[in-house]
Amino acid sequence: MSALTSKTRQLRFTWDIVILGFLFLVWVLASLTTSNFLTSLNVSQIFSNTGEIMIMAFPVTFLIISGEIDLSIASNLALSSCMLGWSYRAGLPIPAAIVVAIAVGTLCGAVNGFLVTRVKLASLAVTIATLALYRGIANGLVGSKPISAFPDFWTSFGYDTFGNSFVPKALPLVIILGIIFALVLHRTPFGRRTLAIGQSPEAARFAGVNVTKHKMILFCLTGMASGIASVVYTFRFSLSQPDNGTGMELLVISACLLGGVSIFGGLGTMWGVVAGVLLAGSVESWLTLRDVNAQWRTIVTGVLLLISVATPVLIDILKRRRATAAIKQG
Amino acid sequence: MHKLALSFKNRELSLLVILVFTIGLTSLINPRFITGSGTRDLFSSTAVVALLAIGIAPIVIMRHIDLSISSTVGFSAWIVAAQCAAHPNYKVWQAFIIGPAVGLCVGIVNGLLVAGLRLPSLVVTLGTLYIVRGLDYVVSNSVDYNSQDLPKSLMKLGETTYFGLIPFPFVLVIIFMIVASIYMKYRKPGRDRYAIGSNPPAAELVGIKVFRRTFMSFVFSGTTAGLAGVLYLMRFAQVDATAFYGQELAVVAAVVIGGISINGGIGTAQGAVIGALLVQTIQGGLSALGVDAFWKQAINGALLIVALFSDRVLARRSERALLAQRIKERA
Amino acid sequence: MESMVTSKGDLVLEISGLQKRFGGAIALSNAKLTIRAGEIHALLGENGAGKSTMLKILAGVHAPDSGTLNLEGKPFVTGSTQTSIDQGIAVIYQEPSLFLDLTLAENVFIGRQPMKGATIDWNFAQQEASRLFKQLGVELDPKRVARGLSIADQQVVEIAKALSMDAKVILMDEPTAALSSSEVERLMTVMRSLRDSNKAVIFVSHRLDEVFAISDFITVMRDGATVSEAKVGATDLQKVIKDMVGRELTELFPKTENKIGEVVLEVNDVTNPAYFRNISFKVRKGEIVALAGLVGSGRSEVARAIFGIDDYESGTVTVKGKLMGKNNPVTAMEQGMALVPEDRRQQGLFMVASVNKNISMESFGNLMKGLFIDFGKERELSETWKQKLSIKYDNQRDPVERLSGGNQQKTVLAKWLATDPDILIVDEPTRGIDVGTKAEVHRLLNQAASEGKAILMISSELPEVLGMADRIIVMREGRQVAELSRSEATQEKVIAAATSSAKVGAN
Repeated sequence: MSALTSKTRQLRFTWDIVILGFLFLVWVLASLTTSNFLTSLNVSQIFSNTGEIMIMAFPVTFLIISGEIDLSIASNLALSSCMLGWSYRAGLPIPAAIVVAIAVGTLCGAVNGFLVTRVKLASLAVTIATLALYRGIANGLVGSKPISAFPDFWTSFGYDTFGNSFVPKALPLVIILGIIFALVLHRTPFGRRTLAIGQSPEAARFAGVNVTKHKMILFCLTGMASGIASVVYTFRFSLSQPDNGTGMELLVISACLLGGVSIFGGLGTMWGVVAGVLLAGSVESWLTLRDVNAQWRTIVTGVLLLISVATPVLIDILKRRRATAAIKQG
Repeated sequence: MHKLALSFKNRELSLLVILVFTIGLTSLINPRFITGSGTRDLFSSTAVVALLAIGIAPIVIMRHIDLSISSTVGFSAWIVAAQCAAHPNYKVWQAFIIGPAVGLCVGIVNGLLVAGLRLPSLVVTLGTLYIVRGLDYVVSNSVDYNSQDLPKSLMKLGETTYFGLIPFPFVLVIIFMIVASIYMKYRKPGRDRYAIGSNPPAAELVGIKVFRRTFMSFVFSGTTAGLAGVLYLMRFAQVDATAFYGQELAVVAAVVIGGISINGGIGTAQGAVIGALLVQTIQGGLSALGVDAFWKQAINGALLIVALFSDRVLARRSERALLAQRIKERA
Repeated sequence: MESMVTSKGDLVLEISGLQKRFGGAIALSNAKLTIRAGEIHALLGENGAGKSTMLKILAGVHAPDSGTLNLEGKPFVTGSTQTSIDQGIAVIYQEPSLFLDLTLAENVFIGRQPMKGATIDWNFAQQEASRLFKQLGVELDPKRVARGLSIADQQVVEIAKALSMDAKVILMDEPTAALSSSEVERLMTVMRSLRDSNKAVIFVSHRLDEVFAISDFITVMRDGATVSEAKVGATDLQKVIKDMVGRELTELFPKTENKIGEVVLEVNDVTNPAYFRNISFKVRKGEIVALAGLVGSGRSEVARAIFGIDDYESGTVTVKGKLMGKNNPVTAMEQGMALVPEDRRQQGLFMVASVNKNISMESFGNLMKGLFIDFGKERELSETWKQKLSIKYDNQRDPVERLSGGNQQKTVLAKWLATDPDILIVDEPTRGIDVGTKAEVHRLLNQAASEGKAILMISSELPEVLGMADRIIVMREGRQVAELSRSEATQEKVIAAATSSAKVGAN
């Protein structure tokens, strides 16, 4: 079912600008209504809090564009994080434990990819299952004994900023990953093929694209990103436990959709996604500074998700009504 | 081809056989399982999930999904408890009105967005899942309720057993199952759902009212979830904002295992209930085997994957049969 | 449960002066059709003759621009599928669309299940369905699900459904295209039983021997108009074929004599048991080989197998002397093959993407600057081919779905020609495009051939096949049945080979 029309595409082009506009608006409003929104401490908090989400959002964008979805990313993060802590406690040096985490993440992504591309199960259903499976395994492995002692050097990497600036130590990593993914999506044949698969899987087949292999790669990349995000997360909170990252999958997907990625596939830009993530993070920060109940954030994210999915459809309906009205008159 | 048709018709039958077999296996491991109290426990602990499974069955048959149910259960449970605490003279029937009413509202929102705007049900119900959960937290404001606050008659009803074996909540489930089953088999709106799930464009062409059926199905699942919230109260006699958190998977697993294909077009209410019982039995069996409760979630996930896989295998079989026929024709 | 009592021979449908245009193309230009109750009426004509359009107007899918249509003496309301159904028109398409998860009985009564009080009366539905199947002379179990049913059986279910809705006229669009000969026999039994119930059956077919075996009446259309109507006894195969193709072959196709070089594509005994068997042929440099035949004869499947999009079971494909692996389009492209697919909208183009992005899709190798795509070079590529092929669009960045059919087809061609292939396979290159662009495309293909490319052209349009090809290979029901050189080929011979009728003498 594709509700994709070229009019929607034109809309999307301006959608990215609208989101950037909203981001700007939120920053302005927030700094006007609170006293410390624009401080370097708060800004660094925003970047910190959105770091893992950003990292996972990059390849998830590719995945959604290609017509699939992965709801297990947060559980993947939890499992990878637990594997990191578990390996460290078992005696591995941190760098090795980091490799383990990323490898586990990629493996989980590969399992998703295998079930979707080879066994041909629907990605929605499969990743609902692996969402439980991965977090469940984390629970079983580490459930009763979380790991919370990590070396200062590394926890500083996850938590601190450079000196007194607003730049968290983890930010350069995020930026580099972002640049790489953005370039791949917009400027390489791989990115083009991803868009092609999302726009018309059949035409992609006839263009010689190996859709199975391509989607498998995307799932693996998504898993790998979960692994990398889990490293940042673990060090940021200095905690390796099965509840890590609960609910993050919603935030990632909402951010992508907010950023203009179409749930129907074939459409999306990376800077839209970045804006979407920052927008969600900024709104949350604003609410926190205003002492609003933390649970409102869940409501707001849910509402934002619904809005981002409903708006293009509503606009399309309006346009069509106007068009038929014009025909009736003319 | 006939064989294939038969195997579909008897899907529920073979599920029942598997259920009996699994119960037998579990009883071998844990002899207490097959006793009166063991069976009562099984029915008690399955009631909520089974009811929810019946609730989303029509939705899944139409190739949709409703993830918001677990939040609705928690939210309606809390609201019922709050209302009962605020009005100590409330009787049972009032609880049975408030709960479903809460669920009805959620169902209407879901229905309008999915049926009206044709938004993908995954995203919509993911959104309402979080919105309702968030509302639950905000409205509840960390207030918990326990059995002191609930009407005694409600609690007693929860413990009433019929034939010494079936607790009231499960009786409710059975009633629902029978009604739903009759509706889906013998009423035109019920049949429409199968048509919509089997061949959506053709369904429109033959004049089936897709909007109405889809909308009402989400209303049904929401209301059922609201009712399940009351059952939750009867079982746990306490509620806070985290009630029933994260249980949507258990329901989806029950539904898929119960023979309701994720691709739509097939499945029954009976299958949903058997699926729920099967999941619960497997859980019970595994914990009797000494598997840590910590693994419960993982097991649910693995079960769902197995169910999806077998669902797919059946679909492949009919594809291959069709291909074999083509080959015969062209020979 | 017959409502009206129509006697055999009563006038049921009277259509005259029917006109219909689609944009610039004229589909019907004075079509006429007279149908009586209790008759099997065949509607013949080549592709593009207007038969499909006529059927679709009756089915309510299109509304005519002008013309008179009367059903049992009263004006026939067009333009909506529901009103057509209400007026007693039932359509059986080539690809039936049943609800595969529901039982046959339910499929027959879909949307109108019989009730007993407040519940559905399944017993009655099953009995009725059984009765209808029996009436049609077919053994089917109404309690089984439709999934797994052969196309032939699905058709019967559709026909039973039509009967249960008291259809007066049953339209069948190429009903035998996907059937085996025994199933065709059975379908004919069904059709006869419909006729005996005083229904009117209109069917479109290309299988002339079947047509003569079963019809009472034959109407032939050509270029949108009705050219002959005759009782089956009053006409014969030769006359019908002549009516179908009767025009003079105008020189729309400037065929240049090219130097034909060595063999570049060799297909040897290639078989995919579900679609085609034992296909063998060669294509040489500078040669245009046409693969002719009816829709459903397996030609597109052969092309897809050669190119690697589909798999095949046995046989070999050799390109420039090198043996090609199966199911790998990337290697095929590397070896210099290109396939312009049959359905440009679903298979050839990304409709929402820009012209630019569509054209560059296969040519990234030449457009890179380091690791990235050079947008400037991409735009240049687009411009170059826009000029070369005279593709008309407003802006390179416009989505391709804004272009006309002809320009869309040229975009697909541009995409593949940009890879400079040695072997160009084109599947229905001029389907659904206007005459002017058709000529351009033909000129292009000729030019490609003169540059030394080997061209395999799949086409259902006779004039195109005869005008363009150096050699014509005819396929029928998955098998290769004839090979004709340019000099010996005539329209009659090609149709005769494609439609399984006896070989027609040289005309």
